[in-house]
Amino acid sequence: MSAVDKAVPRRDARSISEIVNDERFRSIFYQIIVAVAVIWTAQYLITNTAENLQARGMSTGFEFLSSTAGFSIAWSIIDYEAGDTYFHVYLVGIANTLIVSFFAIIATTLLGFVVGVMRLSSNFVVAQIASAYVEVMRNVPLLLHILFWFTLSSALPSPKQSLGWLDSFFLNNRGLYVPAPVPGDGFDIVIIMVLIGIAVAYGVTVWATKRQMATGQRFPAFWTGVGLVVGLPLLAFFALGAPLTFDYPALKGFNFQGGADVPRAFCALLFALVLYHTVFMAEAVRAGILSVSHGQTEASYSLGLKPSWTLRLVVIPQAMRAVVPPMISNWMNVVKNSSLAIAIGYPDLVAVFMQTSLNQSGHAIEIVAMVMLFYMTVSLTISAALNYYNKLVQIKER
Amino acid sequence: MTDATQSDTAFRPKPSLPPPANTVGVVGWLRKNLFGGPIDTILTLLGVYLLYLIVQFAVEYGIINAVWTADTYRECLDINLGEGACWAGIGAWFNSMMYGRYPDEEQWRVNLGGIILLLWLIPFWLPKVTGKIQVGMSAVLTFPFLAASMFIGGDTGIFLHVMASIALTLFVAVWLHVAACYVLGRSLPELLISITGFTDKDDRLHKYVLLGAFAVGFVIALIYHMSWDLVEVQTTIWGGLFLTLVISGIGIASALPNGILLALGRRSKMPVIRVFCTSFIELFRSVPLITILFMAVTMMPLFLPVEFNPPKLAMVIVAVCIFAAAYMAETVRGGLQAVNKGQYEAAQSMGLSFWKMMALIVMPQALKLMIPNIVGSFMGLMKDTTLVSIIGLYDILLMGKAAGQNPSWLGFHTEPLLFTASIFFVLCFAMSKYSQHLERTIGGGYGRR
Amino acid sequence: MSLDTQLPDDGVHVASAISDEVVIELASVNKWFGEFHVLKDINLSVNKGERIVICGPSGSGKSTMIRCINRLEEHQAGDIIVNGTEMGTNIKNIDAIRRNVGMVFQQFNLFPHLTVLENCTLAPIWVKNMPKAEAEKIAMQYLERVKIPEQAAKYPGQLSGGQQQRVAIARSLCMSPTIMLFDEPTSALDPEMISEVLDVMVGLAESGMTMLVVTHEMGFAKRVADRVIFMDQGEIVEQNTPDEFFTNPKSDRTKLFLSQILAH
Repeated sequence: MSAVDKAVPRRDARSISEIVNDERFRSIFYQIIVAVAVIWTAQYLITNTAENLQARGMSTGFEFLSSTAGFSIAWSIIDYEAGDTYFHVYLVGIANTLIVSFFAIIATTLLGFVVGVMRLSSNFVVAQIASAYVEVMRNVPLLLHILFWFTLSSALPSPKQSLGWLDSFFLNNRGLYVPAPVPGDGFDIVIIMVLIGIAVAYGVTVWATKRQMATGQRFPAFWTGVGLVVGLPLLAFFALGAPLTFDYPALKGFNFQGGADVPRAFCALLFALVLYHTVFMAEAVRAGILSVSHGQTEASYSLGLKPSWTLRLVVIPQAMRAVVPPMISNWMNVVKNSSLAIAIGYPDLVAVFMQTSLNQSGHAIEIVAMVMLFYMTVSLTISAALNYYNKLVQIKER
Repeated sequence: MTDATQSDTAFRPKPSLPPPANTVGVVGWLRKNLFGGPIDTILTLLGVYLLYLIVQFAVEYGIINAVWTADTYRECLDINLGEGACWAGIGAWFNSMMYGRYPDEEQWRVNLGGIILLLWLIPFWLPKVTGKIQVGMSAVLTFPFLAASMFIGGDTGIFLHVMASIALTLFVAVWLHVAACYVLGRSLPELLISITGFTDKDDRLHKYVLLGAFAVGFVIALIYHMSWDLVEVQTTIWGGLFLTLVISGIGIASALPNGILLALGRRSKMPVIRVFCTSFIELFRSVPLITILFMAVTMMPLFLPVEFNPPKLAMVIVAVCIFAAAYMAETVRGGLQAVNKGQYEAAQSMGLSFWKMMALIVMPQALKLMIPNIVGSFMGLMKDTTLVSIIGLYDILLMGKAAGQNPSWLGFHTEPLLFTASIFFVLCFAMSKYSQHLERTIGGGYGRR
Repeated sequence: MSLDTQLPDDGVHVASAISDEVVIELASVNKWFGEFHVLKDINLSVNKGERIVICGPSGSGKSTMIRCINRLEEHQAGDIIVNGTEMGTNIKNIDAIRRNVGMVFQQFNLFPHLTVLENCTLAPIWVKNMPKAEAEKIAMQYLERVKIPEQAAKYPGQLSGGQQQRVAIARSLCMSPTIMLFDEPTSALDPEMISEVLDVMVGLAESGMTMLVVTHEMGFAKRVADRVIFMDQGEIVEQNTPDEFFTNPKSDRTKLFLSQILAH
C-alpha cells in the first residue's frame, strides 16, 4: 500500500507537463484557439467590409427597407405596386416563393406516391416506364428541366389561338388563365363549416376508436368523416344561396381580361419542380414499402387479418416511418430549389430581392442576411417538425 | 417382359410432368407480368401505346426530320419547318459547349489534363495494385495544382511550380508503382528499398530512402516544369463542360477533407468547436446554392481588402467548396455513425491517440461505407454546378444559351438544352449505376462469411 | 454442486502467483450515467499476479468498473491508480496505463479492414513505434500461443467467433501488458467455442498474468480465480476465495444469484 501512496502525485503541486497533458486543459486550449481564429476572421472581414463600404460611399443598416423600391414586379400573389417599399418587396418575394412551393409540394407528394407504387408494380411495362422516368429525371440537372419547359412553353400559341378548355381555362404563350373565384356574402360561413366539419370528423374518429376499444363495435368513422367535411359546407353553401361566383377570363383585343392569370414562368417552374422532385418522393415511397419485411405481412395474414387491414394496420404504419423523413426533406428541397426561378424570370424571393433589390439599393449584406434568414427559418421549422415526428414514431427499444 | 414384372414391386417415382403450359415460358411470363387481369391488361396496353408515342416522336424529331448540315438556324427551319431537330447547330457549337472560349490551339492542354487525371485514377480498378488509398490521396491532393498550372499557363509563380512538380513526381511514381506491382509483384517502396540495399537495415531508415528518391524525382520534375512555356489563358474565357467539370471537380476534392473535419467537429465533445461546426453545416445546408453563389459574388469583394480583386471563377469556386463541404460533412457523419462503437473502444484501449484512431481504424471503415454516397454527392454537385450560369459564368448551359442568341443561330434553344441534358444523363447515369454496383459489392462487408 | 462449465471440473486449481505489490487500486470510485448511479463507492485493490473473477446480474456495474480501469468510461469521483499511475485527466497517464493494460471485449472488436496479423501489429507499430518486422515476429509468437498462426493472413470476417476472440486476446498480448481485462469474453460465443477461448485464458493465468475477468463461467472461476467478486446495483456485495464463495456464500443476494445461475 505504501508504494501506491508514494506514487500518487500530489494535486497541489502540478508540474507544467502535467498541466499541458491534462485532457481538460487541452480541450479548453483547443476551443480557445478555434474561438480566437473565428473571431479574428470575423473581425478581419468586418474591418475590410467597413473600409470597402466607406470607400464606395455606401451605408449599412436596415433603413432602406422603408424606402420606395420603385420597380415593378411581373406577377405577385399579394398586392404590389411600383411605389411600395423594399420590405414589401421582401414579402412579395416570400409569398411568390411559398405559393409555387406549396403547389409543387402537393403535386410532388401525390405524383410521387403514384410513381413509387408503379415502380413496384408486378406489371412489367408499368414498372419499366416508372423506372425510366425516374432515371431520366434525376440524372438531368433541375435547371435544365426548368429551362427546357420554359423554352418549350414559348412555342405555345399566341393568345388569339389559345388552347381552351370548357371556355374557362386558356393556355397560351403568356401563361395560364383560369376562372377566379369571387366569394359573395356569407361565403365565410361556408369556410367556417369546413373547419367545423373537420373538427367534428376528428371528434367522431376519436370517439369511434374509443368505443371500438371499449366494446369491440366498429363505427364507419371514415365515411362519416367524409360526409361531415364535404356535406356540411355543401349544405351551408346551398342554404345561403350559393354565394360564390367565378370571374371568367375572356379574350379582349390581344390578351385575356378577367379571371386569374398564371404566368408562363410559374407554369414552367412548377412543372419542372414537380417532374424533378417526384422522383425523390417516388424513391422514398418505394424504399419505405420495401423496408417492411415480407414476414410482417405473413404474420398479419396468419393472424387472420384481411389484406386491406394488413395494409392499414401493419404495413403502412411501418412504411411511413421510412417514408416521412425523406419526404419532408424533399419538401425542404422543393422550397430551396424554387429559387432557380430566377433563371426564367419568375419573381421569387431570390429574383426580386437578392437580385433586383440588391442591384438597386446596394445593401448586399442586409439583403443576403434577410434572404438566408427566410430559408433558414423554413428549414429549421421543417427539421423541428421532422424531429418531432421521429420522436413520435421511434420504435421503443432497449 | 421379366424386367417389367420384377420392377413392378420396386418404387418407381412418378415422372415429373411439365407445368401447365400457360404458367411458364414466354406465355407464362406474359401472363404473369403483362396480362394478369383486366386492369393489368389495360395498363399494359396504355403503357405500350405511351411508349409508342414517345418513340415515334423521338424518331421523327431526332432522326427523320432532323437536319444534320446547315450553316444557320434559318437554313434548318427552311428544310424541316421546325418539325425536327437542327443537329447541325450542335456541330457548329460543339467546341464552344465543351471548352467555352478557350483558344482552339490551346485546347490540347485541357485534354491532356483530363487524360492525366484518368490515368491517375486507373490504378483503382487494377486488382494487383496495392496502396490504393495513397494513390487516390495523391491524385486528390496534388492534381488540382498540376491542372491549374497547365490550364492557366503563363508565369505561374513559385508555389504552383513546386506543387505541380510534386504532382508530376507522384504521378510518375504511381505508374512506376503500378508497373512494379504487375511486373515484379512488389510495391514501389519495397523495390526502392531493396535496390538501395536497405532491406536489412532498420525500418526507421527506410523512409530516408523513399524521401531521397522523391527528392531526386522532384528536382527533375521541377526543372522540367520550369521549362514549360505555355501561353496564359485567363479564367474569364474558360467555359463549357470543361468549366463545369473544373468547378465540380475542385468542389468534390475539397469537400472530402473539409467535410471530414466538419463532421469530426460536429461530433466533438468540445462545445465551442461543436457549436461552430454545427452552425456552419446547418447554415449552408439550409439555404439554396444560388443564394450562396450570390453571396460569394456580391459580398466577397466587400469582405476582402480592396487590392484583392479575385476573378469571378475563384469566388464561385469558394462558394461551391463551402456548399459541398457542408453537405459532405453530413455524409461523413453518417459514415462515422455506421462504424461500430466497439471499434472506437478497441482502438482506445490499445492506446491509440485520437488522430491515429481516426486515420488507422475509423476512417478506412467509414470511407468504404461512404463510397456510394460520395459518388452520389459528386453527381449532385455536378448537376448543381449548372447554377453558375445564373450568375454569368459561361458553363455548358450558358454557352448553349449564347448559341441561340448568335445572329446566325437566333432561336436555336431546344437542341443545346437536349444536348446538354444528354451529356449530364450519360455522365450521371453511368456514375449512379457504378455506385449501385459498388454498394452491392462492398455492402456485404469484409471477407467471405 | 454441479457447475455448468466448459472446463473439466477436476478440482485442480491453477497455482497462484500473487506478489505483495499492488497494481490496481480503486478508492471510493463513483460513477453516474446521467441520474443513474452505476458505481457506488467501489474500493478494490489488486495485487500483481492476482486473478479476479467478477460476476453479478446484468446492470450491476461490473463491466463499467473494469472499463473505468482502462478509461473507456470516466469515473466522476474517487481515485483509480494503475501501476502507480493515477488515472485522471492527464493524457500521458492515460496513454501509459492503456499501454500496460490489455482489454478483451465481449464482441471481440477486431478491426475488420485489417488482416489478423495487421490487427496484432497495429498497436506495437503505431503506439510503441516498434519496427514492423519485430512487431510481426512478436505477433506470430502470440498467435501461436493462442493456436491460430495459420490464420494470420485472413480477415477477421473469415474466422469463427472463437477464433476471433483468440485473435483479440493475442492482439492485446502483443502490447506486452502487465494487466489483462476481460469483459464477458465468452458471452457472444456459441457453446462449442467457449472452451477454446477459456483454454487460452487458463494458459494465460498459468503464466502469471494479472487478470480481471467479468464472466459467468463459474467453472473458470473455480479453476483459475484467486478471488471472486460479486457485484449488484453498483456495489461489491461480496468477495472471497472461490472455494468459500461457492460453498459458503455469506450474503443472501449472493446465494440467490448462485442458485439462479446454477439452477439448470
